[in-house]
Amino acid sequence: MSEIYDIGYRHYDGPRLGRGYSTRALTLHSLRGIFGLGRTARSKIMPFALFVIMLLPAVVSIAMMALIKQRGMPYSSFAVTMQAVVAIFLASQSPTVVAPDLRFRVLPLYLSRPISIMEYVAAKVVAMTVALFLLVAVPLTLIYAGELLIDMDGPTVPPQTKEYLAAMAVALLLALLLAAFGLAISSLTPRRGLGVASVIALYLLSSASVPVIYATLASADNEEGAAWAWLLNPFWLVDAVQVWLFNTPAAVPEGGYPPGPAPAIITVVLIAVGLGALALRYRKAAAR
Amino acid sequence: MHILATEGLTKRFPTVTALDRLTVTVGAGVTGLVGANGAGKSTLIKILLGLLPATAGTARVLDLDVATKGDEIRRHVGYMPEHECLPPDVSATELVVHLAQMSGLPRTAARERAADVLRHVGLAEERYRAIGGYSTGMKQRVKLAQALVHDPKLILLDEPTNGLDPHGRDDMLALIKRIGTEFGISVLVTSHLLGELERICDHVIVIDAGRLLRSSAIAEFTQATQTVTVEVEEGTQPLAERLTQEGQSVTQHGRLLLVKVSGPETFDAIRDAAVDLDLCLIRLEQGRHRIEDVFREEAANV
Repeated sequence: MSEIYDIGYRHYDGPRLGRGYSTRALTLHSLRGIFGLGRTARSKIMPFALFVIMLLPAVVSIAMMALIKQRGMPYSSFAVTMQAVVAIFLASQSPTVVAPDLRFRVLPLYLSRPISIMEYVAAKVVAMTVALFLLVAVPLTLIYAGELLIDMDGPTVPPQTKEYLAAMAVALLLALLLAAFGLAISSLTPRRGLGVASVIALYLLSSASVPVIYATLASADNEEGAAWAWLLNPFWLVDAVQVWLFNTPAAVPEGGYPPGPAPAIITVVLIAVGLGALALRYRKAAAR
Repeated sequence: MHILATEGLTKRFPTVTALDRLTVTVGAGVTGLVGANGAGKSTLIKILLGLLPATAGTARVLDLDVATKGDEIRRHVGYMPEHECLPPDVSATELVVHLAQMSGLPRTAARERAADVLRHVGLAEERYRAIGGYSTGMKQRVKLAQALVHDPKLILLDEPTNGLDPHGRDDMLALIKRIGTEFGISVLVTSHLLGELERICDHVIVIDAGRLLRSSAIAEFTQATQTVTVEVEEGTQPLAERLTQEGQSVTQHGRLLLVKVSGPETFDAIRDAAVDLDLCLIRLEQGRHRIEDVFREEAANV
């Protein structure tokens, strides 16, 4: 015999953890949201489809190493080659991180809890950065694992560990740059569709304008100026940083990048601008 | 100890003064904060949560200064906003668990508490469905659940009955009453409908244009007045005549008689009259001042 008792309201006297814990929980929650985990099946389609597309070149590379003993894509140019997929992922998923909380006015529910608005923003940026990093780093790691297993060049030639690690470090930088800008733009347009369109429009503008400007300057025999044109696109900009830091070959169809630390400085400034815009946007949203 | 206390609290925006030297104290139990739209209720709540700096004056919540201990206050206070604030694509369970973690509860505790409070606010199986498909009443319950999930010492409810039908309104008010009594959590509830607060509050604060109009226990608002309502099944007319003959002042309101009470003898007279005339007495009730009447008087004097 069992009976159901109404035990009434129970008070909570367990631990109450600090703001660091809450910020981490928010980061994880946002990261799950980016990949549609805990959401409807429909919201999983886009991120996972793009993730699978990113893995295809890795699979092809491994197959090439195994079957025809040739390297597919170099580690250093992976992100640049796959930039359209990464850009679509950024455009389609960054609004899901910030737009709903603004559009449906969920923000007050966070603000009435211990975390501060800047911790909220930090959690969102970290979540998006990690998502973008995974998108690039998982296929890179897969290729590297394949290389180690296949051991194409025999035991005498070491694997390209340095190239792999350099590509991973640069992927992190790229992820941070894209996350800062993607979230800043999405947070200015609380409607999700508008956010998607704005991010993709900015990417198309930056990548479509590059060949035009490059060709114009190159035909005017201004090779030095033309080199700067590549930096208008975030993927080539970060690749230029990689060339400067790790001396990898430039992943551009023709010409090269401006030498020296200029691309790195531009990247850092752009990240700061993106994060600053986000901070201002949310400071204003919090004051309402 | 006061649950919250303000001292000369002032908030000026560039174009408007939202709070004007407001000094109030709130004790344990259910306290109503009444004022018309734009009276400064929401501004006061934001300052109490430590989200908006005051222009002048001080405020303490749970004996913590709002200016310096904002995050500590927010750890022990729950807040239910007036407006819609729920994302449509997650389930009530997922949202409330997540917000419990935001309040610092470890994951397993957050799950237990979320299940507990969702049951207390009356959400059953639907709590696993996406919030987008909920009715207004269910959404209000989720909003209340997220304010309760971390077992706060005080909850601030901003217009919790907004948009509810009469039945939903009754349920919500009963729930708030339970929170204040059974759960032992102090409640500050705002409303522009005084009749509602009368049913659930121990204490009422009336503000208008950012200034304190009145703060007193509910009993003082609804003190018994000097009338008694009498209802009989038949023979209202003879009873009225009989009582008038005996020197009572009687006014007739349809089937009801309002008799002015001059002392205990008035009740005796009514009883005797009913017995003598062989009438069936249905109701004998002391008339009460409604808070609304008081508020109207106070507002007229300002």
